[in-house]
Order: sequence, then C-alpha cells, then structure tokens
Amino acid sequence: MSRHLLKIRVNGQEHEAKVESRLLLVDFLREQLGLTGTHVGCDTTHCGACTVLLDGVSVKSCTLLAIQADGREVLTVEGLSREGKMHPIQEAFWNHHALQCGFCTPGMLMSALFLLSENPLPNEDEIRRGIAGNLCRCTGYQFIVDAIFELAKGQRVSER
Amino acid sequence: MSERLIGKGVRRKEDPDVLLGRATYTADVKLSRMTYAAIYRSVYAHARLRKVDMSRALALPGVIFGLSGADLPAFVKPMSLSPYGASSGHVIWGERAPREKRSGPQTKYFPHLCLARDKVRFVGEPVAAVVATDPYVAEDALDFIEAEFDSLPPVTSVEQAVSHNAPLIYEEWGDNVQLRFKVSGGDVERAFEQADLIVKETIISSRYTGTPIEPRVVIGRYKEEDNLLEVWDSTQRSHSVSMFVRNSIDLPGLLVRVITLRVGGGFGQKRGFYSEEVLIPLLSILTRRPVKWVETRSEHMVGTSHARQQTHKMEAAVKKDGTVLALRDRIMADLGVAYPTSGTMSVINTVMYVPGAYRIQNYEGELFGVTTNKTVYGSHRAFGKADAGYAIERFMDVIAAELAMDPAELRLKNFIQPHEFPYLSVTGSRYDSGNYPKALTHTLGLGNYEMWREEQRRGWREGRYLGIGVTLVIEPNSASKPGAYNAGHYGVRIQMDPTGSITVFLAGNDEGQGHGTVVAQLVADELEVDFARVRTVEGDSLLCPFGSGSYSARFSVVGTSAVILASQRLKEKLLRIGAYVLGVGADEVRVARGGVEVTGDPSRRLSYEMIAEMAYFEVRRLPEGVEPGLEVLYYYIDPNLRAPGLKTVPDERGRFAAYSAFPYAANVAVVEVDVETGRVKLLEYASTDDCGRIINPKEVVGQYMGAFAHGLGGAFYEELVYDEAGQPLVQNFKDYLVPTALEVPRIKLDHMETPNPFTPGGFKGASETGAVGPTPTLANAVEDALRPLGVALKKIPLAPSVVWEAIHKAKEGSR
Repeated sequence: MSRHLLKIRVNGQEHEAKVESRLLLVDFLREQLGLTGTHVGCDTTHCGACTVLLDGVSVKSCTLLAIQADGREVLTVEGLSREGKMHPIQEAFWNHHALQCGFCTPGMLMSALFLLSENPLPNEDEIRRGIAGNLCRCTGYQFIVDAIFELAKGQRVSER
Repeated sequence: MSERLIGKGVRRKEDPDVLLGRATYTADVKLSRMTYAAIYRSVYAHARLRKVDMSRALALPGVIFGLSGADLPAFVKPMSLSPYGASSGHVIWGERAPREKRSGPQTKYFPHLCLARDKVRFVGEPVAAVVATDPYVAEDALDFIEAEFDSLPPVTSVEQAVSHNAPLIYEEWGDNVQLRFKVSGGDVERAFEQADLIVKETIISSRYTGTPIEPRVVIGRYKEEDNLLEVWDSTQRSHSVSMFVRNSIDLPGLLVRVITLRVGGGFGQKRGFYSEEVLIPLLSILTRRPVKWVETRSEHMVGTSHARQQTHKMEAAVKKDGTVLALRDRIMADLGVAYPTSGTMSVINTVMYVPGAYRIQNYEGELFGVTTNKTVYGSHRAFGKADAGYAIERFMDVIAAELAMDPAELRLKNFIQPHEFPYLSVTGSRYDSGNYPKALTHTLGLGNYEMWREEQRRGWREGRYLGIGVTLVIEPNSASKPGAYNAGHYGVRIQMDPTGSITVFLAGNDEGQGHGTVVAQLVADELEVDFARVRTVEGDSLLCPFGSGSYSARFSVVGTSAVILASQRLKEKLLRIGAYVLGVGADEVRVARGGVEVTGDPSRRLSYEMIAEMAYFEVRRLPEGVEPGLEVLYYYIDPNLRAPGLKTVPDERGRFAAYSAFPYAANVAVVEVDVETGRVKLLEYASTDDCGRIINPKEVVGQYMGAFAHGLGGAFYEELVYDEAGQPLVQNFKDYLVPTALEVPRIKLDHMETPNPFTPGGFKGASETGAVGPTPTLANAVEDALRPLGVALKKIPLAPSVVWEAIHKAKEGSR
C-alpha cells in the first residue's frame, strides 16, 4: 500500500501527514485530525452526513481520498464558529429547532452554506434542492428549510 | 425564572454542542490501545455452515484475533429477549408461570449464540469476526475468511412458510410459526348474525424500517483488574443491554456497564438486542484490548431489524346505517429469524389495537408470527400500532365504499365518544381521554374537505383523478406493559450539589428527543431555578437509576411524571430546611427566584446555595430528622398498573391493558394521480394532533414532521425487498429510498390538548402519531382517486410502477 505526503489546510490550519493512498478524506479528518464533527452515515455516497467544503465547494468526504485534497483547503463544521461564537447558520438552526439527533446536522450546515454561497436568495424549492443530498430521519426537513430561509433573509439585510 | 417554561418552545440545550461539531457519538470514542472489529456475514439465506477457516485472515499484518461460532468459549450463553435470561421461555412477558397455565401469546424460542453455528438462516447473519489494529485492515481481512456452506431451500414468504412440506428454519420447532396469539371480546358470532352486510378485505403492508442516519456502533473494553466490562453502545436502553450482555457472557462477578453517548436516531431499531452487543464486548475480553465495531450502512440494511410487513384478512359485520358491529382479523406477520429483538411484542400490539378509535365491542383477532429466512423483525415507530392503524383505516374506507357512505361520516358514526372516556376497549385497554369527533371535524375544515370533494367531482368529469383520504389514528404509547419485565416504572435521581446546581439522572436514553431540555423546563418550573443550571445525565447503566430505556414516547408520560414528582420531593426538603432556618412554619414558605422565601415577605429568604451549604457542610443546622444532602431517588409507577379493573396479564380471552396513554391524530390528504405515469402528487395534507398537554411546542412539531416523513416513506418510497433465493435486493441507500427534502412537503398541523387524566403533567407522549397517519391516509387518497377506474391498490409502497400496473390491470378488466 503506497503512502503519500499530504499537505492540506483544514479550518485555516496547515497539516502535513503521510497517508495511505486509499485513506478516505472523512477518515483523515475524523481519525487523524480528531475532527469528529463530520459523520459517516452510509457507504454509497447517498446520505450526505460527511459533507465538507473543499476549496469552497461542497463534497462528500466519504467519496474522496484524502490525497485528492492535497494542496487544497477544507472547511468542516468545526471551522464555522469563531472563538466559540456561532456562525449565523448555526444560530439559525438553533433558533428554528432544525436538529433533533444531530447526526445529519454538520453535513446539512455545510450544504446550506454552499447553497447560500452560490445562491444568496434561494426560494423554497431551491433550498430543498440544495439539501436534497442530505438525508435526515428526525426532522422532516421543514425547520431546516426555515433556518436556511432565515439566514438567506439575514444576508440580504446585512449585505454580506 | 418566574415565567413557566412548560408549554414554551425554548431552544434546546442539546443543540450547541452538535452545531459546533463537538457532540460525541459512539463512533467518535477513542480509547487507548483500541482495535477494530469487522464481521463476516452469511451471504446465504439458508444453509448448513460446515467450516470456517480464518487462517489466511489471521496471517494478515495487523490482524490480531479471529473468532467463529465453533470457537465460542463455554461462558458464552445463548441470547435471550428477556434480561432475566432464556430459561423463562415465554420471554416477552418475563413471567415465570408455566406455559400451560398461560393464555397469553405462545412464543417459540431458539438459543441463538452471537455467532452462527451449524446453520445460517438469513443473509447478513454474523458468522465470524476479526480484530485488527486498523479498521481498513479489519475490513481487508474479511476477504480472506473462507467458509463452507451447503445451501438449503430458503423460505421467503409467509405463505410459503406455512405451506405443506415447507422447509423448516428451526427443525426443533416442527413448523415455521414462531408466535400464535388470539384475543377476543364480546360476542362476535352474534354480531355477524345481526349484520346487514359483511365486508371482507385483505390489507397488505410491505417490509420497511427507520434507518437512523447513525448506524449502530458497539465498543467493548474489559478491565480485568475490576472485572468490569464497559460497553459503549448506540442503544435506546442501556440498562436492559447491560443485563442482556451479562446473561450472554456468564463470567462470575462480571459487572457490565453500558454507556450511551449521543445517539443519532433510534426509531426502535436501536432497542436491540443484537448479536454485536455480545460479540464485540466478548472480543475485548478475549483480546484484552478495547474493540470497536462501526456498522456500515450495507451491514445495517441486513443486520438491523426490519418492520411492518403484515397481511390482515379482515371481516366486518356492518349495519346499513354504518355502525360497525364486529371485526375479525387474521394477521400474518413476516418475522424473519427468531433473534432477540422485540418483533414478537410489536405484532402482539397490532392485534390488540386493530379496533382503533372505534367503539367496536365485538372483536376477534388471531395472530400468526411466522419465521422466514430474512432479517429479524423488530421495533419501528409506533411499534405495531402503526400496523394496526394502517389495517383498520384502510378497511374503514373499504367499508365506506361498500355502503356508498362518506368515509368521514362512517368514522364519525363509529368513534368512541368524548363522554365515554376513560374507555375500556374490547381488548382490555383503558383509553385515557380524547375527543375524536372534534379532531376529525377540525381537520376536515383545515384540509378544505368540502372544497376538495367539489374539485374531485369536477376533476373526474374532466379526466383528472383527484382523491381524498381521511383517517383518525390512535397511537397507544408509554409502553408500560403491566407484568412485563421491561416497563411499568421510571426512575429519577435528582441531586442539588453544594453550589446549588442540579443534576438529574434519568432511567431512559435520548436518541434526539431532547430530554435534557424538557427536564430542565420541568425542574425550572417546579423549583424556580435557572433553566441553564439543570443538567441531565442518561444512558449510563452504572450512574443512572435502573430503567428500561426510551421507546414508545414513554419519557413524555412516565419519565416526566417521575421528574415532576422527584422535583416536588426535593422541593419539600428545601422548604422544610428553609422554614426551619428562617424560623417559620412549613406552610409559611414557598420557592421563588432560586431560593426559599417567606410567603408575602420576600426579603426573608435563603438562596438554594445557602441551603445546600447547610445540607452538605453545616449539618448541625438542619432540623431534627432531616438527612444531610439534597438528593432524591424516586421511581414512578405507571398508573395503568394499579388501576382497578385493568388486567395486567392476559385473561382467558387474551385481553389485557397493554398501554396507558392514547395520543391520536386526525388526517386529511388530497392527491392527484397521473394515470399515464402512475405518479402521485400531494395537493394537501392536514393533521390535528392531540398529545395531551404540550411540553415544548417546537419539539412536538419537529417530531411530528419527522414522523410524518417516515409515514410518507412507507406509503410511497420505502421497501425492503427479497428475491426467491432470500437475497435482499435492497442493500444500501441507493435502493432504499429515504425521503429527501424534495419528497417531504410542508403540511398543515394543528394541535388539541386533551390532558391525560392519570399523570401529574397531563402529557400523553408525542411524535408517533405522525408516523402512523400518513401511510393509510395517503393510500386511501390514491385509491379514492382511482375509484372511477375500479382500481384496488393491494399493497404499499405506491411507487409509480405499482399504481400504473394497478390502473392497467383494472382497465384490462381483471382485478
């Protein structure tokens, strides 16, 4: 099994590690960096619990090799808050009761962030499309959609 | 602090850690010297297991241990459904009475071990395990295990299982019927003689389940120096699992501690019990290393319980005016293998609640739980009552059609009336309270029923097929089956520490329901403390009072009752100490603003911190007869257990009071069916849900919506399909269609609060009604839409292909 030198920036911090070619990005984040906020919910790329941003684009980290992220930048759920202060998307989820068991939530947050970065003022259908790759079994999605709506409107108001 | 928190949609305490990515789920646990297990599973549905050769797997660098069924040490015992052990035979009831004396369910048992021996009986059955220092290597090692199977003819349906000369899955049993149970009440024969009309129908539902997004995880660590086996388990019931493991790993003096951290959804699939809950801890004993097993989704689809699949042959004795005099139901449930999950209990619930919301006092229910070569049947939202709700609500529409009667009218005619509560059902349950006519009438308004009937008539003239489904489903819950080992009580320990902070230890588990928030609301209201200073601990079998876990929404009913009453006892102690130190009578003080004050003179007060200091450090200042410390342990008993006239074990006709709280929901669904493609569009869905007094309205709506998505999935998308060789065709999320944000619509949801008269809080427990309602309501709506074409929809899920085929079959004149 060949090993490669991985140089990667995660949540603003540089890391270097020797990794097996077959190491999945999600396992690198969880096991080697201890960033267990990103979750694994399936093995066929369907559930989206492992969603992170790679150079600002949402990806399913269970279907990327860590080495594919060499020289690139990853944002995980742990990187959203600043000095313990929640990102507006996290506040919105909290306000709207958009989580119950929480297992799909980190992936939802990252997908929501990516959706809003591409489309700051989505309508309901666009929001639902944007999170269609994130399965949830607890919430029925309604409050998640409400939370994303609130953030979208907030962005318009604050001109972010 | 003086504003009451019960009834408020407060933000949850559980959420920040999740949102910040620092909540710990079981797969996140890292232990020193931890190793990883992978499980080799049968790819045959039915076969003799001849040999398992692990030598090549063990030779892989990084693999440290391997185990197959043949190598299990003698101290490993067969798995039992009851924590009391396998010897009790009819383990679901935990009763000790001899089999012949019981009129209850007759259930057969098989002493399965945690790894297969001699025979495999379903695809996915654990055959062997490997342990390695790296999880990828453990998975690699599976490819190097060689096992020899002689395949046997599989049994893949209930019809086949009970047919003449069917292969026997358990030769010892002599047949393939695991469970037989009959319950009856009234005089069914006479009622059928008096009928103006007899209506018959067969209602079939498919096999599906809940697939929580977090698969199962088990970690075992054996501490030899303490003879302590620690098991981290994503389970719904930590204490029960600790006993299950203890019974299955019979080492003298062994203490089993089960620790449950955050659980990513349960829905019944994490009630267990499962082979891995024994196997993984066993591996940690045999290797003297911590062993972690993380279920893959593919494993989950075969290794974690299935549910729902039932056939109901129903008959009703009906009068011309719509009165349903009597019901008969012959139920066949496809239970898969006889593994120790609670599938048998689930289907017993079904037969008990087929009469539903209706005052039908003549009933005969006959249940056959049949074993097949499939994954074990277990618990899934509403635990058998969803299946009863599906059957009766579909059947009521069949009856309405036969009578050419409006389905809402038929239901209103037959509902248990508000003045009849508490209502003793024909199967022996005491329904606590409710107003079914009001709920349905309100929902008809909310769902624009009259307007949609107009639209429907117009649509049929124009070649458009609109349909309306109307239901009212009950969801008996708070499983405190009298006489059963697993329930009837809820333990709480509430402790105020020397700083005045409060910790509440619960007997239950949390899979996302937000118990900590609810507990804080209750305690804050009772003791007038800051919501933020109340912490909850659950899921630890060593730290928490003994309990049977979380399922059946029982926390809302028995759990909250225990918390309220325990808080009141603590309050009494605080008031007693406060009164004494303030020099006034016990009736002259009250709690307020985080302390005890003289009523009417708030300047004379002691903060809880002051009282706590006395209780722990200055005990000489305590009144005579008052113990030091501020800690109350209290076990609440479900009122159902002590109510006069309620049977706690099945009587000679099989009747007993199985549940104690009865939330319900009325539903209206409007659909449009595209007859060219079979696609169904949902135009309207309205519900009125009554879960008694509401604790946290945001949580109630959130849970209802989540449950709704499960019910919707059952109606249109979810099915666990097996082929004739017993091979599961649905093995992952590619084939198993979990509804996404695009499939789950917004719905109209209103609430009614008919308090539960038998509990301190008046709560009934919420969330499962949402899972029960949609499936029959939507099926009724689709069938209603296609009525002009004479289409009968015989099974769910109603995938476009299923609807399309039914339409074309009807068009060709065959039914």
